[in-house]
Amino acid sequence: MKISRLKSGTALTVGAALMSVTVLAASASAEDMAIGPVVGPEINAAKAELGKRLFFDKRLSGDAAVSCSSCHQPDKAFTDGLALSKAYPGSKGFRNTPTLVNTTLAANWFHDGRIGTNLNDVTRESLTEDYSMNMDMRLMQERVKQDPVYVEMFKAAGYGEPSNGSIRKAIPEYLKTLISKGSPFDNGTMSDAATRGQALFEGKAGCIDCHSGPRFTDDQAHNMGVPENPEIWSDPMRHMTYAAFAQFMGVENFLNIRQDVGAQIIKNPADRSDVAKFNTPTLRELKYTAPYMHNGMFKSLSDIVAFYNTGGEDVPNLDPKVRPLGLTFLEQQDLVAFLEALSGDPLTGPEYVWEGEISTNYPAIENWRDVAN
Amino acid sequence: MTKINKSLALMAGVAGLAMSAVTATAEMSYPALAPLGEPPIPLDNKMSDAKVELGKILFWDPRIGGDASTACVTCHEPDQGWAFGDSLSRGYPGTVHWRNSQSVINSAYLGQLFWAGSAASLEKQAPSAAKGAVAGNGENDVMETRMAFIPEYVKRFNDVFGTENPLIGDAWAAIAAFERTLIVNDTPVDKYLAGDTSALTEEQVAGMELFNGKAGCIQCHNGAQATDENYYNLGVPPAERWEDDGLAQVTFRYELYAKGVSQDMYRKLKDDPGLYFRTKEPEHMGKFRTPPLRYTLYTAPYMHNGSFWDLREVVEFYNAGGGENDFTDGTMAATKSELIKPLGLSDEEIDQLVAFLEGFSGEELRVEPPVLPPYEALASE
Ligand code: HEC
Ligand code: HEC
Ligand code: HEC
Ligand code: HEC
Repeated sequence: MKISRLKSGTALTVGAALMSVTVLAASASAEDMAIGPVVGPEINAAKAELGKRLFFDKRLSGDAAVSCSSCHQPDKAFTDGLALSKAYPGSKGFRNTPTLVNTTLAANWFHDGRIGTNLNDVTRESLTEDYSMNMDMRLMQERVKQDPVYVEMFKAAGYGEPSNGSIRKAIPEYLKTLISKGSPFDNGTMSDAATRGQALFEGKAGCIDCHSGPRFTDDQAHNMGVPENPEIWSDPMRHMTYAAFAQFMGVENFLNIRQDVGAQIIKNPADRSDVAKFNTPTLRELKYTAPYMHNGMFKSLSDIVAFYNTGGEDVPNLDPKVRPLGLTFLEQQDLVAFLEALSGDPLTGPEYVWEGEISTNYPAIENWRDVAN
Repeated sequence: MTKINKSLALMAGVAGLAMSAVTATAEMSYPALAPLGEPPIPLDNKMSDAKVELGKILFWDPRIGGDASTACVTCHEPDQGWAFGDSLSRGYPGTVHWRNSQSVINSAYLGQLFWAGSAASLEKQAPSAAKGAVAGNGENDVMETRMAFIPEYVKRFNDVFGTENPLIGDAWAAIAAFERTLIVNDTPVDKYLAGDTSALTEEQVAGMELFNGKAGCIQCHNGAQATDENYYNLGVPPAERWEDDGLAQVTFRYELYAKGVSQDMYRKLKDDPGLYFRTKEPEHMGKFRTPPLRYTLYTAPYMHNGSFWDLREVVEFYNAGGGENDFTDGTMAATKSELIKPLGLSDEEIDQLVAFLEGFSGEELRVEPPVLPPYEALASE
């Protein structure tokens, strides 16, 4: 776990900040939480263009084998189609890769919500975390400085010389461009089934209690009683990756537990009431992002709706809103139709994808001895 | 954590330096070459067969590192003199190292490890190798957790160290214990110095006289280890790869950044300042630890950046009065050792000296590679 490691230069100070999850959503006004189209932030085009190239560049990982886009793939709405994510070579992931569409508007990040500051910190974490990209950011800076394309792009973006600090600014600028658009829900072209589904979503099924606002999330963690994914505990490479994470997060008995404790790591309440709470995910772009839930335990939206309809599993600290819903089969289908209507156009055009070749060779700096490093 | 360790090591290092400087200037006669004898064993890391065997497996195990690709043995290959046969060592995938890989043979005798002596013991050297971004790029908690999923390690660590699960610090201790078995102390030179006059040829004996006399090698390569463990700038030229290899240029700047030189130095340095990194004293620029000479027949290329490809080239370099680098000509400093001056050796004398150096190596040391134990799922709770 690289938060502690000084490889990343300033990481230590962030460690504390990471743990203070912003509870923005709790105080957000009812108006903010109304559902409707997603409005993206202002974008600096040159910075976003630079961030895009960085996002697709494998040289940003320790052994130059993985880029952000290895796991966050544009044609899958920036997920990877796997129940549990891959990881940096030598490890295997223990969580499902979330979509990055609209992530710029989130109040906190990761399935447990452990980063509540900003995407600069999320980017740092993604780069330096041993099981994601295992990058020493000082080495990353020198790699980027070696590439003449980057030297020009950093200049054009107004950052001057490439530095690890500006890398962590440019990637979030690119993430700002990933905003949902063109869904039947936004366009007003929903089917009758989907329209009926919306009424259930806001009414009888009570989904809106948590899946609210333009992104359909309250940015809060809840225990929904999602079953454990047994593969995390039967595959030693996944289990050890989780165990190292849990150890770093101060989870007691980290080698003996067989449960992803979720948001418990943040405040560590003594009564363990935050165990198995996970962040409410956005419901946009679900068409592209199966399998679902923090551990990929659900393959389809109808499975999820059926799960909700039964009232979930009997687990400690189950969120009281999880209760038998009494939805008929047809109502369940309508609800699924509504969920599907929340997916928009794929963000796969050149505005979103770096389509040029990124060579992993570094050209030598000519007359190296005569120019300043 | 890392940083605290480093600054402690630095303080220890500086104290060590000050002491050796006193002995070096005390007088002009030098400790004679002598048979090597047995390596010192630290009281807090006693040897046992079980510990050595464990250390050996770990030395071969790439899971002690970031992406499970690069073990100690990857850069310290038994058939390349337990070093790596290129000027600059290979690095972690996606990188090249910036120094020549040193042999681990006889590293057990050294008080200051690495070309610039930055690690004070094998126990402290191993983690910096396993964790450095251009070497192992591993992280303690990950490496430690991986071992807990290898039942054979759990058992072996328990036998050797009595812990329930393997601790990463114990892994370094076991690796150090294994390295203390990589000893070559029965070379022809050792046998000769122990009284077996038939162990060296006449040519080699003539070479030894040059070593101790006209060629002046003994001024630095002295005592049983053939090193005073002091630091000198011989004028070894800067690595050529830095001029024309982008990957090497990346690592060069990374090292300047990671080792924490001033902004001004980061911009200006074009050569490896060696000991300066540890002390930040300008008079230490370009200085490297005198290496021990045993086993060098197998460890080409030579010097901190692998500038020379055979021992004859090395001797010719000394015969010419050393060389020039950024720390000899005043560009950054002028620290070249006054002991390095043209020697006026004839071709025949050069041959003799090379023959003597070859007598420092003996048989190659090979071991049976271990079988790496597999991961297994932990029994459920
Ligand atoms: C090896 C796969 C992998 C790579 C590489 C990777 N990610 Fe992720 N990403 C994940 C997984 C898995 C999660 C969820 C982790 C968790 O919840 O603990 C995640 C979470 C995120 C989130 C939080 C999203 C949310 O809604 O909470 C962001 C933002 C993100 N990644 C951005 C990046 C960026 C930027 C990079 C490159 C610098 C990157 N990721 C590289 C797998 C990856
Ligand atoms: C109490 C708050 C709450 C309510 C009410 C709720 N959800 Fe969720 N929903 C969550 C949380 C939290 C998760 C993630 C759980 C996990 O990963 O363990 C989630 C996950 C999902 C997912 C998976 C999304 C993905 O990308 O993995 C879907 C789909 C979903 N909910 C739909 C619904 C529907 C439909 C309803 C109404 C029937 C509903 N939810 C009601 C909190 C809620
Ligand atoms: C990527 C290549 C690489 C890997 C992996 C590597 N080394 Fe090294 N090793 C080197 C290089 C290069 C040096 C010299 C570095 C310097 O002086 O800065 C070195 C130096 C050493 C030395 C110092 C010898 C002396 O004479 O001072 C020892 C001992 C050593 N390594 C042991 C290890 C151990 C133990 C491991 C595994 C934990 C390891 N190395 C992993 C390349 C590597
Ligand atoms: C002033 C001290 C000094 C003297 C005198 C000296 N050496 Fe060295 N020797 C060193 C240092 C220091 C290095 C490493 C320099 C570097 O890498 O920049 C070295 C390196 C070597 C090496 C390479 C070893 C390796 O593992 O790469 C050999 C061989 C060698 N010396 C032989 C000799 C011989 C033969 C002589 C006499 C002609 C001699 N030295 C005189 C200090 C000295």
